[in-house]
Amino acid sequence: MSSKQANLLQGTLDLLILKALGAGELHGLGISRRIEQTTHGAFLVKPGSLFPALHRMEEAGWLSSFWGESENNRRAKFYRLTKAGKDQFEVETEEWTRVALAMTNALKAT
Amino acid sequence: MKLWSRINSLLRNLFRKQQVERQLDDELRAYVDMITDERIAAGMPASEARRFALAEFGGIEQVKQTVRDNRAGASLELLWQDARYGLRQFWRNPGFTAMVILTLALSIGANTAIFSIVNALMLKSLPYSHPERMGTIYTRVTGAVASDERHHVNGEQWELLRDEVTSLISAVSGIRASGINLQAGSHVQYIFAGRVSAHYFDVLAIHPILGRNFSDEEDRPHGPKVAILSYGVWHNIFGSNPSVLGQSISLKCEPYTVIGVLPDGVTTPLNAGVYTALQPSHDGEGGGTNFEAITRLRDGATWQEADAEINRAWLHRAHRYELENNPGAQLAYYSVPLQKGQTATLRPQVWTLMLAAGFILLIACANLAGLTLVRVLRRTPEVATRLALGASRWQIQKQLWVENLLLAFVGGAAGVVVGLIALRGLLVLLPERFLPVASVPLDGRVLAFTLLLSLVTSVLFGMLPALVTRRFDLRSAIGNRTATGGDHVRLRQALIVSEIALTAVLLAASGLLIRSLIHLQTLPPGFNPDGVMTARLSLDDARYHDAAAFRKLLSESISAMRRIPGVQQAAVGLSLPYERSLITVGPAINDGKEAGQLITADETYVTPDYFAVLQIPILLGRSFTDGDGPDTQRVAVVNQTLVRKFFHGANPVGRHFFKDTMIVGVVEDVAMAPGIEAVAPITSEPTLYLPAAQTEASLISMAHVWFQPSWIVRTASPVEGLTAQMQRALASVDPNLPFSGFYSMRDLLAKTLATQRVEVALLSAMAGLALLLSAVGIFALVANIVAQKTREIGIRIALGSTVRQAMVHTGGPGVRASLLGLALGLILCAGALRAMRSVLYGVGVYDAPTIGAVVLLLVSVTIIATIVPTLRIAGIDPATTLRDE
Repeated sequence: MSSKQANLLQGTLDLLILKALGAGELHGLGISRRIEQTTHGAFLVKPGSLFPALHRMEEAGWLSSFWGESENNRRAKFYRLTKAGKDQFEVETEEWTRVALAMTNALKAT
Repeated sequence: MKLWSRINSLLRNLFRKQQVERQLDDELRAYVDMITDERIAAGMPASEARRFALAEFGGIEQVKQTVRDNRAGASLELLWQDARYGLRQFWRNPGFTAMVILTLALSIGANTAIFSIVNALMLKSLPYSHPERMGTIYTRVTGAVASDERHHVNGEQWELLRDEVTSLISAVSGIRASGINLQAGSHVQYIFAGRVSAHYFDVLAIHPILGRNFSDEEDRPHGPKVAILSYGVWHNIFGSNPSVLGQSISLKCEPYTVIGVLPDGVTTPLNAGVYTALQPSHDGEGGGTNFEAITRLRDGATWQEADAEINRAWLHRAHRYELENNPGAQLAYYSVPLQKGQTATLRPQVWTLMLAAGFILLIACANLAGLTLVRVLRRTPEVATRLALGASRWQIQKQLWVENLLLAFVGGAAGVVVGLIALRGLLVLLPERFLPVASVPLDGRVLAFTLLLSLVTSVLFGMLPALVTRRFDLRSAIGNRTATGGDHVRLRQALIVSEIALTAVLLAASGLLIRSLIHLQTLPPGFNPDGVMTARLSLDDARYHDAAAFRKLLSESISAMRRIPGVQQAAVGLSLPYERSLITVGPAINDGKEAGQLITADETYVTPDYFAVLQIPILLGRSFTDGDGPDTQRVAVVNQTLVRKFFHGANPVGRHFFKDTMIVGVVEDVAMAPGIEAVAPITSEPTLYLPAAQTEASLISMAHVWFQPSWIVRTASPVEGLTAQMQRALASVDPNLPFSGFYSMRDLLAKTLATQRVEVALLSAMAGLALLLSAVGIFALVANIVAQKTREIGIRIALGSTVRQAMVHTGGPGVRASLLGLALGLILCAGALRAMRSVLYGVGVYDAPTIGAVVLLLVSVTIIATIVPTLRIAGIDPATTLRDE
């Protein structure tokens, strides 16, 4: 599986986290699993990248956090999108779409 | 929102660090626990599940560190760590720290003090609205005798300036404020009064808070007597009473109507307590150049237009005094900014001081670079350890820079304090009303300058050690516990060479100024200054404009003073030796082969015993007597310089000049301040003495506006309470005439040489500071060599070297550097000191005693600074040092 794993582009992780939280609040492992699911295992986010990103995004005001109970009744830190985070998601999605389209076109060109 | 969230996290990260850390810990542990739970649910045994979870997680500590590094304020925190580490280092090396901070405090303090004067005089805008539109007029004379400076103007020039130069609002004033007596109620107060023309306050853009400015009618000759009060006088003497407006007050014993009060905190170039209308005329006072002009450009006009108008107006005068005795000369007038005009005479001195202060800073930097270099080398093992443990070179460098900045800031702060104290001391040292500004503030610009200076210093002295660590070889550093190349000794020697060279220049400069001052102070005075007390008072007083009243005051007050027990003789003179005096321009010699020759000379009236009181020798003819009265032959006594200059040295007794005045005597020259030509601060100018009893009423009232006559008494031995008795003697004649001050002849000399004394004091202080810093530099170098070579010296001694040989060997580098610096300094002196020629009197630029003294001083300081640290060698025990390894 790891051989298939794509390298995370700079900025992609942020977008994936924002997307994962779009459906509702999640804790760290939850975010990691959701990204794995939605990308069909293409992206496996390791804690070493996940936590610095989460803290950075929280400091930027895109995420807010609170302590809650996990499904197995463990105390866990949950993250949710703030208003600024939702806006950021829009902006980054648009940006990504533009880049992806441009890349696709560039590669198709003969 | 985003900014707020960032600041919030920053504050939380910095100040609630423990909580943040604990939460991070909990969060990561929960993650691991949840993976473990998943595995257990998938059927894995508990212990294996946990190991699996930990393995999948990667290093917990690494993750934590990455989170920390990405946190807001992470770099700030690292900086704080560096700073704390640096502070601990300083604490552990109190000697080094104290040395650095003291050096910085002294050098930055000296610079701060001098710069605040530069700032007050030249950089700070004048405290008026649109100061860039304010000016004064310079006169450029080209020809045999060339000059380019601000001239005072006469009545004719003023009228032309006022009436024909329409691009400017112009005004004139008396040349300086003069002390007068203001009578308010029962007591008489001595205050400074300025005489200003109409529109003077318009030029300064000052509007009275009460009343109005002088009108054109009030500024006509013989116009009404009106006065404007400064806020201070209004507040202190009239209790801020608004009804003072329109009231009559007594100035110089004449009633003046108050027509205005100036706002609080405003100042004028005259800086007076009360202003009266100048009422300038064409003749009398206005017949000579006795006014000072200031101008303000009208809206829409340019300086070029104004200058063209001034030249047009002034060049076609019938009598152009500027061209006298200067055949073929050309004249031109031009405007210069008022600030420049006001400070022109002080500029060279101030820049010299700033340059000297700059030298001090360079010397300090060289010293500090040497000190920090040694410290960095001493820390070689520590740096090596840190590098070996994985610190980057950048981290090591950052640590050094942070430490330097810390030192620079602490030193800078101490420098501001030292500067403030030095400035206070400096202002006390300066004579009263010496600077043409009301105050010398330590304002934002000065503080910014100090901050900049601290930063520059830190960069300059931090650069060297930082460069050294960049060439740091880890392998040799680890291997060798006390890595010391010969390289850095040579580097420090170079630093000391430059320090000593600069110090030599400063020492030589201050030495020349000291020699100059000694020369001026020990010039033969031409009279006996010991045992003379002088008292001055303002006779700018309506009651004494009449010649008879003036004569009566003099004769009665002199008799009263003679009756004081212990007083041998008493006299009055308009001006005294060491002082400036009135100048008369143009009386012609009437007879003999010099007939028609015009005389320009100092002029003073004196009572008959004047020469006897001061013991000025009468060389030819006679002194004045009581017989020389208003109705007898007009007589004069002249000094030798006048005889030499206007009579070709021939005996002038019996010759006549100016309306039949006969010369009856010739006296010895006395030392005096120059009035005609400023060739030296103390000189002898041609002088005319006239009997006080023959002084005309017109001269009396005019001269007393500018000069305060002095009552002088000679006593055989000091008399207790002499000044009080003199005041009482005067009060018995006129109780409303207070003396404005009492001075011994020594005081008068000191007053005249104030500028020179200030120069000497300041430059000597700088040179002393430089010498101290250089001595510290040599001391530190040699002490360091001794410390590093202890083992080598031990071996040498063990092998039979004497302690003396070892001392010479270790002290050598310091002495050699110092001597080289001295040689370099003397070469620099040869070029640099020539700029001082204009401020030296009675001593050449290449003055052997001065140079000898500089050499002697520097050599002895070098020897002392070298010997003291090498004395430790005597205490080195070869056995111990060898065993120590």
